[in-house]
Amino acid sequence: MRYRLTGVVVAAAAAILAFGPVAGHAQDQKRPDRIAGKPNFNGIWRALNSAYWNLEAHSAAPVPEFWRMGAIMSIPAGKSVVVGGTIPYKPEALKQKMENEKNWPKDDQAANCYMPGIPRANYMPYPFEIVQGDQNIQFVYAFAKSNRIVYMKEKVPAPIDYWMGMSNGHWEGDTLVVVVNGNDDRTWLDRAGDFHSNKMVVTERFKLIDKNTIDYEATINDPETFTKPWTIKMPLYRDISPDAQLLDYNCVEFSERKIYGHLEKFPDEDK
Amino acid sequence: MRIKYLAIAAGLLAMTGAVKPAAAHHSFAAEFDVNRPIVLTGTVIRMEFSNPHTWLHVRVVTKDGETQDWAFEGGAPNALVRRGWGRDSLPKGAKVKVQGFQARDGSFRGSGRTVTFVDTGKQLFMGSSGAGAPPDERGGQQ
Repeated sequence: MRYRLTGVVVAAAAAILAFGPVAGHAQDQKRPDRIAGKPNFNGIWRALNSAYWNLEAHSAAPVPEFWRMGAIMSIPAGKSVVVGGTIPYKPEALKQKMENEKNWPKDDQAANCYMPGIPRANYMPYPFEIVQGDQNIQFVYAFAKSNRIVYMKEKVPAPIDYWMGMSNGHWEGDTLVVVVNGNDDRTWLDRAGDFHSNKMVVTERFKLIDKNTIDYEATINDPETFTKPWTIKMPLYRDISPDAQLLDYNCVEFSERKIYGHLEKFPDEDK
Repeated sequence: MRIKYLAIAAGLLAMTGAVKPAAAHHSFAAEFDVNRPIVLTGTVIRMEFSNPHTWLHVRVVTKDGETQDWAFEGGAPNALVRRGWGRDSLPKGAKVKVQGFQARDGSFRGSGRTVTFVDTGKQLFMGSSGAGAPPDERGGQQ
């Protein structure tokens, strides 16, 4: 049964990717405020901050490796999206985070076009679409064609670890709560090397502030890496353009040289 | 003239290859050597449930004190999960004995056959590494 419902959601998502949604304004008029008694999250969303560079507060800075790009590929300043300001790392884990940061972008799997995992996928600088009916809910991400199904009826355990984890959801009033288990420990939380173990459980809360803004919150609980659970909080904005459409970001070929470049005949040659 | 015959022979060889039934992902014999069985004891670095084959990474310390990181290929994640494997089956740091067959290229890789927990003696079957893998001890094909 679950698979059939999943199939319907997947087909709906595929149809949206293939044909595009109904034009924005028309859709706006037709879009019901509620579906099956629950708030309607359907649409294309995106975070507008620099949390994808660093969840914690950071100053504007250059990226030495990108010197050719000058000012257009440098890091914009950002305030911390972490409630309380800093991530409560255990001492050993903090050392690992520093090491990761030093090895960015080499060790950042997202740079290899791997699926970025949750919560990172929600605040990457690429949009995503929520496909909601009266059953399971699908999240479709432009980056690396990632997606995940949020199971709303039966609780589905994670048999193994997944790049995008295993999402089970429920409603708490008008808030969509998603609990994500089975998170592969190779995903990072941002480009600053913030990381987690595969024991991480993410509890996300999506709440509509108005019809075009989601109040997004994710609590990260990972006793192997952090001294206590911690929470990030940010708004997600709807793409209200009339022709809003989720476009693919098929990045596999963009990362080909990063991953396999050492096998080229003249690996250091500029192309 | 000789070159022409060679070309025809090569063409015939290529055709033979083309009509052979396609192996699942790759054949066992292409990568591993059935005549080089191996048994290693070490600690689990990570159990990687990746497609088309899983990989068990094990750290082994040799008699000479050298540390070697070995990787053993197992069945597909789906096949192992159906056999009861899960994300916590082989926790990091667990002491295990792995039985398998070494790679032909001499690297620290092999085709895994069984994993045995040193502490409990519990044995897990790692599944197959593609068509042509040797039968298990009970004579069964993978």
